[in-house]
Amino acid sequence: MGRPLRTITALSTCVILSACVTHKTKYSWGGYDQALYDYYKHPADAAHYMTALRAAINGAAKNRQPVAPGVYAEYGYMLMQQQKYEEASSYFEQEKQAWPESAQFMDGMIRAARLGGKPAGGSNSR
Amino acid sequence: MKSMFRLVLLVPLLALVGCVASPKKFDYTKFRNANPHSVLIVPVVNKTVNVDAPDYFLSSITVPIAERGYYVFPVNLVKQVMADDGLSDADMVHANDPIRLAGLFGADSVLYVSIERWDAKYAVLATTVTVQLSYELKSGRTGEALWSNKQTLVYSPQANSTGNPIADLIAAAVTAAVQKAAPNYMPLARQANAQAIYVPGQGLPAGPYDGQYQKDAQTF
Repeated sequence: MGRPLRTITALSTCVILSACVTHKTKYSWGGYDQALYDYYKHPADAAHYMTALRAAINGAAKNRQPVAPGVYAEYGYMLMQQQKYEEASSYFEQEKQAWPESAQFMDGMIRAARLGGKPAGGSNSR
Repeated sequence: MKSMFRLVLLVPLLALVGCVASPKKFDYTKFRNANPHSVLIVPVVNKTVNVDAPDYFLSSITVPIAERGYYVFPVNLVKQVMADDGLSDADMVHANDPIRLAGLFGADSVLYVSIERWDAKYAVLATTVTVQLSYELKSGRTGEALWSNKQTLVYSPQANSTGNPIADLIAAAVTAAVQKAAPNYMPLARQANAQAIYVPGQGLPAGPYDGQYQKDAQTF
């Protein structure tokens, strides 16, 4: 009797807690998840999604939080879509600097941006 | 306001989950040995008729895993690059060798998510929305399964009685109509992710960018 009750209490506490701490995140997201959802819902509206990515990047200094993982790269890709290859490259480079885990992938993206062509994956295994 | 709504939604859900929660701790031996730092999220398998579900779901999964302390590969960019490489078919990708997939991106783990259910059942008095998701993390180096979890969340709005049956019926019809136009799955998907990832003994241990990294062996 006491066991399941305790489980429920523990679970509620931890999830309620996790719900409450969502406002204090590790990273600057700029509403990335909602914006990506909206972008998938309305693919023609890339501007709104890009605004959110810029908000994540610009909000980092203001909120003294690091830019969330992936944000520079997602922004770079959107620029690449607009044929802004040089600018795209600089964002892929920033992703790589911020997150060493992304180095191989970002090197591939930087190469692709330099070629001004379509994106390619980390190409050393092909 | 939004978080209030979330809380209200959570409490009945939790009571439900609490009843089925297994007290047995997940075996983290392989996870600890692999010690993943980065997570590649590959295209989501869709076992439902809702064609938009994988994209919508994809937008919800980055934040909780990154906030847990892992590097999460940019999901939209990964999706586009994989599509360009002929890897857009999720069923095919899930059957593919995780070592090869991880190698393309330099990832040390690969997360496979399947949407088992993503539906709404309409009734006169209340609409029930169900989201069921299964998660499996595999090592990018050995290909072995490191962690898995499954979540089922059901949301049925409480029909608050006004004491007037006609008024109740109208209110319920309005609620159903609104939800029929755009049933909101995202709070459920977010909640499923939070439970899959954060619940002690079942979720993902803290990653390298979290203060609890390798200090949480008691709970994970």
